[in-house]
This record gives sequence, structure tokens and C-alpha cells, in this order.
Amino acid sequence: MSTTAAERGLQNDGQPSESFSVWNHLKKASPRLNNNPNSYEAQQLNRLSLDQCVKCTICETQCPVTRVTEMFAGPKFVGPQAERFRNGESVDHTLDYCSSCGICTLNCPQGVKIAELNSMARAVMKQGHMPLRDRLITQTSLEGRVLTPVAPLANWALQRKPLRVAVEKVIGVHRDAPMPVAQSQSIRGWLRHREGPMARRPGQPDRGPVVFFTGCAGTYFEVETSKKTIEVLEHLGYTVIVPRQGCCGLASQSNGLFDQARSSVVKLAGDLAKGGRHVPVVTSSGSCAGMVKHEAREIMGVEDRTVTDIGARMRETSEFLLALADAGELPTDFERIEMTIPYHAPCQLKGQGMGMPAIRLMELVPGITVVESGENCCGIAGTYGLKKEKYEVAQAVGRPLFDKFKESGAELGACDTETCRWQIRAGTGMDIVHPIHVIHAAYGLSDIHSPQV
Amino acid sequence: MRDVIVVGGGLAGLVAALRLRRAGLHTTLVHMGRGGLQLGQGTIDVLGYRPSLVAHPLTELGEFCALEERRGGPTHPYNLLGVEPVRVGVGFLRELVGEAMAGDIETNVLLPTALGGLRPTTLYPASMAAGTVSLDPSDPGALHDGSRVVVVGIEQLKDFSCQLVAQNLATIELPGGGRLETRSASVSFPGRGTEADSNAVAIARALDRPERRRDFVAALGRLARRGETIAVPNVLGLTDETFTAIADGLGRPVFEIPLPPPGVAGMRLTDRLTDLARAYRVEMILGSRVIGAETGLGRIRSLRLGTAGHETDLEARYVLLAPGGFESGAIELDSYGRLHEPALGLPLAVPDAELLNDSWAGEQPIFRTGVATDCTMRVVEPATGEPVHENLYAAGGFLAGAQRWDEKSGEGIALASAVRAADSIIEQLKES
Ligand SMILES: Cc1cc2nc3c(=O)[nH]c(=O)nc-3n(C[C@H](O)[C@H](O)[C@H](O)COP(=O)(O)OP(=O)(O)OC[C@H]3O[C@@H](n4cnc5c(N)ncnc54)[C@H](O)[C@@H]3O)c2cc1C
Ligand code: SF4
Ligand code: SF4
Ligand code: SF4
Repeated sequence: MSTTAAERGLQNDGQPSESFSVWNHLKKASPRLNNNPNSYEAQQLNRLSLDQCVKCTICETQCPVTRVTEMFAGPKFVGPQAERFRNGESVDHTLDYCSSCGICTLNCPQGVKIAELNSMARAVMKQGHMPLRDRLITQTSLEGRVLTPVAPLANWALQRKPLRVAVEKVIGVHRDAPMPVAQSQSIRGWLRHREGPMARRPGQPDRGPVVFFTGCAGTYFEVETSKKTIEVLEHLGYTVIVPRQGCCGLASQSNGLFDQARSSVVKLAGDLAKGGRHVPVVTSSGSCAGMVKHEAREIMGVEDRTVTDIGARMRETSEFLLALADAGELPTDFERIEMTIPYHAPCQLKGQGMGMPAIRLMELVPGITVVESGENCCGIAGTYGLKKEKYEVAQAVGRPLFDKFKESGAELGACDTETCRWQIRAGTGMDIVHPIHVIHAAYGLSDIHSPQV
Repeated sequence: MRDVIVVGGGLAGLVAALRLRRAGLHTTLVHMGRGGLQLGQGTIDVLGYRPSLVAHPLTELGEFCALEERRGGPTHPYNLLGVEPVRVGVGFLRELVGEAMAGDIETNVLLPTALGGLRPTTLYPASMAAGTVSLDPSDPGALHDGSRVVVVGIEQLKDFSCQLVAQNLATIELPGGGRLETRSASVSFPGRGTEADSNAVAIARALDRPERRRDFVAALGRLARRGETIAVPNVLGLTDETFTAIADGLGRPVFEIPLPPPGVAGMRLTDRLTDLARAYRVEMILGSRVIGAETGLGRIRSLRLGTAGHETDLEARYVLLAPGGFESGAIELDSYGRLHEPALGLPLAVPDAELLNDSWAGEQPIFRTGVATDCTMRVVEPATGEPVHENLYAAGGFLAGAQRWDEKSGEGIALASAVRAADSIIEQLKES
């Protein structure tokens, strides 16, 4: 027997769920909705939640940007309050300082979609005068494709101060902003050239196929994380399918380029769906998972069956492995690793409601103690902290986190998403890895001190 | 499988989760946002009015319960619990937070409010101790007849009018006789940069920084006169060390007066309990709403969470609900005048009388609505007293029978019921 509210007939007028029915209703009322995510109608879904605001100010106390700068009026003002006065044009330009980290939505006890409201309003505000910079930095897979063949040169160039100053002046990417390290081989190159799948761990059953979603960063920059995830999954008896895949469009979305983002996410879902029906989808790019599961629909109004299906099947690597452990199916005869690991759960991950599976997962390894940062945000928020006018804000947001990591005295820290790792690496000088790095080492597949990225 | 899922990140949920975890149980805490603790005054109200002013909450609890018994309608949580669980619950909080909370469970004190009134409470942050007025004739209290108080406002903080507080406080006849001598003054102290409007949390964060704190202490030092106690709005830092540093710097009594939300004292307590839960490895799932349950054979098998992209079914042996009351959306009144418990559709105990009346500040019977439990805090059918599910317990503002704001009983009920419910689950698991 199931007793969800819907089934018990509390919503006995046949409406499956609140947000779903609103979308359907709006779509019927206005066919434009499907073509224009910035339309007035598309905004109504999240706007509806603003009436739930009781002005308790909990969001104000948690917003990491409000904490560090008076340039930003704060989530309650910019979100549910200013939204009442928006009729297309934004009445509050401090809105641009919102990093869309989602911490406000996460903490609002009344279910107001504050960050989502802000993202939509920003897209409208920037329509028609999108900075060149925001168009360029959102081309994440293009950047990877261009840089990978010339990786040593690219890395050399990115460390040249005069060049970075020029980039800041012309494009508006801050000269000290954290940058990824370009790799000479993409994950596709590695898959083509390796000698075959990793051998299955003795005694492990054939667990069937999983689709691996690499994400742009996992394809071109954080290649080591992708490799290690694939190897651990194979070690456990999975057949890992890595379909040819594009970008999820997250960076475009967070910069308000919704058309670009919509077509990216729909195309990506199609790419991943080629890996097989009902096959679990695993990813070590927590933020890209958030895009598919949450932002595509909640912010951009994407109603696409394949996106919904892939989102429902998708699990972050730690979430996936911990579920195995909880079902008693994960071999836990790990090698002992004596280490205290400071860990930061990125906003993008917290927003998905999975808790913090990486903590319990890493602590299954004997000798490991995880110290959670307890901080809301590292500051980078995707591309926010790269921008010349936001760089200082992002650094100030991240500082308490950097200090906690440094004070821990550890050499190695963990964090689940790529841009956050770049930010924390730059802010602490420490090696920051995806938690899979620890599990890979604990299964004896590598040394915990092996190359980091 | 996990032992217990606790729903709710308010005082009841956090304390219950810590109690369960300290007994070694695998505990998951789920909440859809921060709880009411951060919005209140950061004090622990056990029983303030019955309806007359309460001086000794535990000794007067019996009379309060007798009155409740005669009133009829949903049973008050204190009538189910009795005195001992209140003592245990409040004691457990003290064990968790240590020196941060002052006061004595046996006696209430009065504390100045942001409107310049006095209100009863039982435990209070150490930073409010110098502002207490005693209800016990044998104890003079920090403030008494003739005490001189300068109420200092902050120009950028619009939620606190120092003149209003000072003038109103001076008119009150103290319980031990006499009056306070008050005056007001103000300082300029923007929280961030040069902003004209600051909220309490922004100012508190600024005061956590030693260089900003020095300026503030110097300004207060300049305007206080000899023999005066300084009263400031509740902004003295998000960490407890900030208050100590300011009090030491001033070298004279200073206390905080609670503000409307965001409440800094409540936030300190929420942060402290959340940090503890984190350190004890309570598994925390934030920002997720409980939307249903799988049940069978008289038990809840799993709770369903509305998470991004898909629903998640969390299995557990026991479930402890602490989702609060109307104020947190845990109980709803629809436009047809029907009352619902939206998460699991649980039966509610509803007062027989008219639910709402047009008195503005008086009692509204609707707030007594909630779930009914037995004395172990297991959720029962209000009509029959039979358990709804064998493994379902409840605590805090979710419970039927109380008028928390009028009685000033919200935190006392939350602590007593949370610890009682947790202990019931611990006992059950030990037996099996
Ligand atoms: C502004 C304010 C002032 C107050 N002042 C006083 C006072 O002066 N004196 C007094 O005695 N009491 C006061 N109270 C009441 C007192 O704070 C509470 O009674 C007490 O803290 C107990 O709260 P609780 O833990 O039961 O619930 P709450 O603190 O309300 O917490 C409820 C939690 O449950 C979560 N939740 C709700 N539904 C769901 C769901 N479906 N799924 C997941 N999570 C869910 C919420 O997000 C929240 O974390 C005040 C409350 C408020 C809001
Ligand atoms: S307390 Fe809050 S909900 Fe109640 S009337 Fe005032 S603003 Fe409205
Ligand atoms: S999304 Fe982040 S930066 Fe924006 S208002 Fe919310 S908490 Fe603040
Ligand atoms: S936390 Fe939610 S309800 Fe509270 S002020 Fe912010 S948006 Fe409004």
C-alpha cells in the first residue's frame, strides 16, 4: 500500500502534482512556452512559489554572497520581493550579483524557489545585451576540444600573467581566476587507446551495464576522475558504456543563455539514452547531474521526455556506490588509508536532495576521517567567480572554506564537482580530488598520492 | 538499513537526531529548510503563562495540566509527558550546548523584549544574563529596582528602536517592586561597507571580526556612564567568543535584547546543534520535502522524498516526525476550511470548539490542532488511541494540544517530546 498525498486523494481533482499540473496548464494556455523559456508564461511556474514567502529571512542569513558584499540586496529582496514588481524588465540590478548557488532555496522552509526565480529574471535582464565574455566561457566543450591537442602550450599560456591581464581587459575573465589544467588526452582518447576494461574484482558478479556521463570537464580537464570512476565501476563488475556525448548546457543556463542551454541538454539526454533503456546513468559531475535533474525543468521549463527519463536514472558516483553499500553489495575490504580528508559538498550537489553520500562512502575505508567543511559555498558557482567584477566576491565567499581546509593540516581534500575543485585548489594550494579518487586507491587500484587530475 | 529517519531541522528534530545518534543508532535527518529555532529568541521557554505568569515552571506544571485536563479537547503534550521528561529534555540540551545557555530549569526569569516589555523564559543565552529580572524573591536578579540601563540602538538597524525600549521599560513595575532607570543612545555601525540598512546577522558577522569589534566596543564605552548596564539589540556575534570579547572589552555588564527574525541568538543555537549533528555523523539530507510513505503490516517501511529528478524512498526501522506546525507548513488549512497533514495524511486531533475567532492577540483554538500521541510519543488515532503505525513517533510543534506562543511552552515541549520519542525508539530497538 502506498500513502502518498496524491494517492490518498488529497488532490482528488485529478492533478498529479502541483508543479506538473501548472506546467501542463500553462502549456495549453500558451504554446509559446515550449519555444521561449524566457516567456512570461514560463516564469509563472516558479513565480507561484513567491506567495509562500513569509519573510522569515532565513534565506538572507544563509546566502553566501549577501554575507560578503553590500553590492547584493539579498535573496528575499531580489527573489520573492522584487519579482512582484517585474514585468519583463528587472527592477533590481543587484540581481546580477546572485551566483545562483541555490543555497537560499535549500534553506527556505516554505519552499520558495528563490534561486530559480533569480536565474529566470537574470536571463530576461541580460536578453539582448549578453556580454561577449558570457558567450565565450559557456562554450565548455569547445574550450576542451581546442585546448586538449595543445595542452602543454595552453597550460603554459594560462600561467602567463601578461596574457591573463590581456584576457581580463578584453574579455573580462579575472586575471587570477582559477583555471583548469588542460590534458593532452581526453577521456575519449583514453578509452580508444587503453587495452580494454579493467579486470573484474575476484568474486564480483557481472552487474550488467551502466552508462557513464562524463560532463565536459570530465571529458577534457578532469580526465583522471572519469578514468577512476570507470575503473572502479568495472572493478565492481559493471560494463561501462560511454556514449559519445555533448555538453549539458549548465554554463549557458547559469549565464542566462537559455536557448543554447535548452538545445544542449536535450541533445545530451538523447546521446546518453543511446547507452540503453533502463540502464542506470552514473556521473562524477555532480553539477551537470543537477542541470539534467533539476535546472533544465525548474529554471528553463524544459519538458522533454528523454531529459526526464535520464534525470530519473542518473546518480552521482558516490550516491550510486553508497546505495550499493547500503544494500550490502559493495565490497568493503578496503586497504587501510590513514588520512583526515577535509571535504566540501558543493551547492549543486546539496540542491539535489541526496544528502552527502561521499562522507559515509569515504569513511567506509578504514583509517579515513572526513571533516565536512560546513560552509555553504566555495564561491565559484560555475563561471561566476571567473568574472572580473565578481572575482573578489567569490574569493571572499570561499575564504572561510579555504581557511578550514588549510587549518586541517591535510594535503589532500575532496569535493565532488569540477569548478569547485579548481576554486579550492587555487584558494588553498592543496590537491583536491573527487571522492572516487579515494575509493580507487582503497581498492588498491592506485596510490592515494597518484596524479591528481 | 538505517535505524531511524527524523523529519525536521528545528529544535525538536535536531535534538532527537542527536539523542538517537548518541545511542549509536544509524540516524538520517531530513528537512526542507531551517526550522523555527532560528526565528525565535534563542531562549528556552518551558512554561511562561498558565495563563498567569509562571515563576517555577516545573512545580507549576501540575496545576497547568489540571487546568488543561478540565478544558477538554486535544490532550496537551505536557499532560502526556509529565515533569520528568521536561527535566531530561532540557538537561540533554544543556549537555549538548554547555556554557552557552544560562538559567535554571526550576525558575523562570523575565527578559526585556524589543518593544520594551518583559517576558518570561527559563533558559537564555549567556549574553542575556545581565538583563534578567528575577521572579524569585530570594534572588535580587541582574536588574532590579533602581538599576540603571542605557539602551543602545544602531542607526542602521531599523528593527530596534532604542527610545521605545527605554521608555517602555521604565514604566514597568518590577515583580520585586520598583522600576528601572533607563535612557537611550545610539551608535552608527553598518554591517557591510557603508550600507544604510543592515540586518542583525550582517552586524553580528561584522562584530565577529576583531577590528570591527574594537570600534564598536570603543563607541559603547564612550557613551555609557558610570554604574550603567548596557542593553544592545541581539547582534553580538554569531560565535559565543564574540560576546565574551565584547563584555571583557567593556568591563561592565552588557546584555542583548532579542529581535524579530532573523534572530541571531536562535541562529547561534541552530548552527551549534547542526554542527554537532554533523560531527556525530547524523546523515543529513537538506532541502528535501517528505511527500509520502510506503506502509505495510502496520508499519512505515520507507519515507518518500521529493528529490531532484526522481523521488527517493528511504527505508528505516523507525520514523520520528518533527516537522513543526502551521508555521512550517506541516499542518494546512485549505480554502474549504479543512485541516490536513500534507506529508503522510495522518489523522489530526482538532479542537471541538470554533477554530478561529476575531480576537487579534487572544487565543486561536485552531493552533491546538496537531497529531495525537500516547505517552511514549507514538502517533495514535485521536478517536481510538490506537497506534497509526507501530514505528511512527512525533515531537515538537507537530503535537496537538498546545498554544505554544500564548503559553510560552514551545521549546520545552520540543525538548521533552523529542527526547522522550528518541528514548522510546532506543528502548524498542534494544528489545528487538
Ligand atoms: C518566529 C517564531 C517565534 C517563536 N517564538 C516563540 C516563543 O516566544 N516562545 C515559544 O515557546 N515558542 C516560540 N516559537 C515556537 C518554537 O520555536 C517551536 O515550537 C519550537 O522551536 C519547536 O519547533 P519544532 O522543532 O517542532 O518545529 P520547527 O522549528 O517549525 O521545524 C520544522 C522543521 O520541519 C521541516 N519540515 C516541515 N515539513 C516537512 C516535510 N514535509 N518534509 C521535510 N521537512 C519538513 C521544516 O523545514 C523545519 O526544518 C516561535 C516560532 C517562530 C517561528
Ligand atoms: S507574524 Fe508573520 S504571518 Fe503573522 S501576521 Fe505577522 S507577518 Fe503575517
Ligand atoms: S542563489 Fe545563492 S547567491 Fe543567489 S540569492 Fe540564493 S543563496 Fe544568494
Ligand atoms: S527563506 Fe523563504 S520564506 Fe523565508 S524570507 Fe526567504 S524566501 Fe521568504
